[in-house]
Amino acid sequence: MRLLLVGLSHRTAPVELRERLDFHTRGLEAALRALGARDSVREAVVLSTCNRAEMYVACDSIESARDDVLDVLSRFHQIELTTVQRYLYESLDLDAARHLFRVAAGLDSLVVGEPQILGQVKDAHAASSRSQTAGPVLHRLFHSSFGVGKRVRTETALGSGAVSVSFAAVSLARKIFGALTGRSVLVVGAGEMGKLTAQYMRSQGAHRVTIVSRTVAHAARTAEAIGGASAAPWEELDAVLGASDIVITATGAAAPILTKARVEATMRTRRNRPLFIIDIALPRDVEAAAGEIEQVFLYNIDDLQATVRENLARRTSEVARAEAIVGEEVEKFAGWLRSRGAIPTVVALRQRFETIRRAELQRLDFKLSALPPEARAKVDEVTRLIVEKLLLIPTEQLKSLAEGDTSGVYADAVTRIFNLQTAAPASDEADPERSSGGRVEPFPAKARGPR
Amino acid sequence: MNAVPLVLYAVALVAYLWHFARRQPVVGRTATTLLVASALAHTFVVGMQTMEAGHVPVTNASSAISTFVWLLALAYLYTEMTTDERAMGVFILPLLVALQIIPVIEPGVEDRAPVLQGPLFGLHVSSLLFAYASFALACVIGVTYMLLFKEIKAKHLGFFYARLPSLQVLDTMNQRAIVVGWTFLTVGIVIGTIWAGQAQGYAGGDPRVQAMSLEDPKIFVAVLCWAVYSFEAFVARRMGWGGRRTAYLSALGFAIVLLNFVPVSYFLTTSHNF
Repeated sequence: MRLLLVGLSHRTAPVELRERLDFHTRGLEAALRALGARDSVREAVVLSTCNRAEMYVACDSIESARDDVLDVLSRFHQIELTTVQRYLYESLDLDAARHLFRVAAGLDSLVVGEPQILGQVKDAHAASSRSQTAGPVLHRLFHSSFGVGKRVRTETALGSGAVSVSFAAVSLARKIFGALTGRSVLVVGAGEMGKLTAQYMRSQGAHRVTIVSRTVAHAARTAEAIGGASAAPWEELDAVLGASDIVITATGAAAPILTKARVEATMRTRRNRPLFIIDIALPRDVEAAAGEIEQVFLYNIDDLQATVRENLARRTSEVARAEAIVGEEVEKFAGWLRSRGAIPTVVALRQRFETIRRAELQRLDFKLSALPPEARAKVDEVTRLIVEKLLLIPTEQLKSLAEGDTSGVYADAVTRIFNLQTAAPASDEADPERSSGGRVEPFPAKARGPR
Repeated sequence: MNAVPLVLYAVALVAYLWHFARRQPVVGRTATTLLVASALAHTFVVGMQTMEAGHVPVTNASSAISTFVWLLALAYLYTEMTTDERAMGVFILPLLVALQIIPVIEPGVEDRAPVLQGPLFGLHVSSLLFAYASFALACVIGVTYMLLFKEIKAKHLGFFYARLPSLQVLDTMNQRAIVVGWTFLTVGIVIGTIWAGQAQGYAGGDPRVQAMSLEDPKIFVAVLCWAVYSFEAFVARRMGWGGRRTAYLSALGFAIVLLNFVPVSYFLTTSHNF
């Protein structure tokens, strides 16, 4: 079985084309069915996000599968192949696996290490399970990719650190206050930026959001837009400030509103509870000197952007470690793929043994017919158990030997010794019943142990 | 016998350092497992010494230090398991290793002077050792608080920012450790006073018992400690002190504790050299 990946992403294609080739607009499952209907395509998964459209296919012949995949792509999106072809990339076998693992790890994302992609990969796999187009190979491939995503997230800092300003503000607030639940947020100014950051704080569990603006009507409108927020008149700024933990200032004022002296005065009433001030206004709303006050943490928009840049740089430095994990997992997958090379031999071997057993039972039928039915059933059971036990070790050995061996010499030897005729490689594996399950056991049921 | 836990603590320290630097969950679990193993081995050592001597091994400075290390390891493990925060281990383990070296290179003979009788004496030392272990934890938490505080203040969010829990959590943990330590310190001092009174009765002629007054450096420093921690636990916050100042105070308090524990015990005191 071979793997073929055909796709395009933000690296190769402009956004207009990516939009045009979004599989979700015409229905992902329809695309999967169209792919699955092709004879050359044994298994198929389509990964479609706003940044990429990729088709993963397991097939016997790359050439015919490629033709079919491209044909489906152009028919499904009603687009000339010549217009998309130069944006497409293609990977085969382990390169395709490596590509998917890198995608799941967030290494191929626009923002390196972003976490959403793993969920999207999972969704793509789930859709193919529903449409029963994924089989044992792609199930295994995608489950491995989930493992890669998880490992990269826990073992490297690839996804750590905020990479947007409002997320940076929230994660700072978390480092100061722990959970945001029960914390009060004050927004000074009724502008868009302040509103967005406050909204985000609120979604992260902030308890109370108060908007203070020179025009109360503006404040009230913004408070309504945030939902669950309240507005307070300009005169109450000091009082609200004293009761707040997080302050976001975003007014258009020309001179600083919160001077050091003013903040110092409110700190006394707060008994030195920490105060986190985020100044996203330009020019500044808060005097820089206010940051010198004990227990005041003052960040302006430049500071937040600087931490975002630092985080991005740190993520880049983690790429090598993430790539190493991808490499390890590709190796594991390669071993599994090789172990599947033994499957036709195993199947043929089992069929051979089963045929012999049946034939012998048939031959002895005239003697056995004298026995009561329970005894006959027992004979059938016992002979089957013997065959299964005889085959247990050869089956496991063939599988594990094949895992480390690329030449297929053992399978070949068994084929010759037992004079087996192997069918087309693993043709029994595309069974839709098995492809709907989660984990797929690549081998026929193992022999049952003695009871 | 104290060497076995020492080696184990040292190995655990390496694992904690590794985990702190690379943050691999497997290494973190290994580090905890190693520390649990060290604490178990140490429990065995302390238990053997207790059985051998017939009382808790606290009657000379070396065995008291060993017992202290054991209590600190247990207290830290408790904190780690209840908060699921491993970052503090990097700061606690060096302390364990450094202190455990003392009983290894100078194993004291655990023979109890006739003066040191009665259950009160054991209680006195045990509760003080537990208080000191709590203060050690508070100190380490305070130090990590300061490190994180500095990073956030300086707007340079780096190494500690990624590894430590929030300032709020550190502050709460610090307060809790201080209150627990203060309670045991108070109990230990009160019991010690009662015991000294009793000892006047049956061993009044012993020069060490005679020296038991506030003028003895060991006793004086202990009372000083009590004053510092009382201030931190009950007064500082009412005065509006923030987390950073109380963190400094925790470090200062523990510096006094250490001073009392090692140099004063070995060289200066005339009342507590048994």
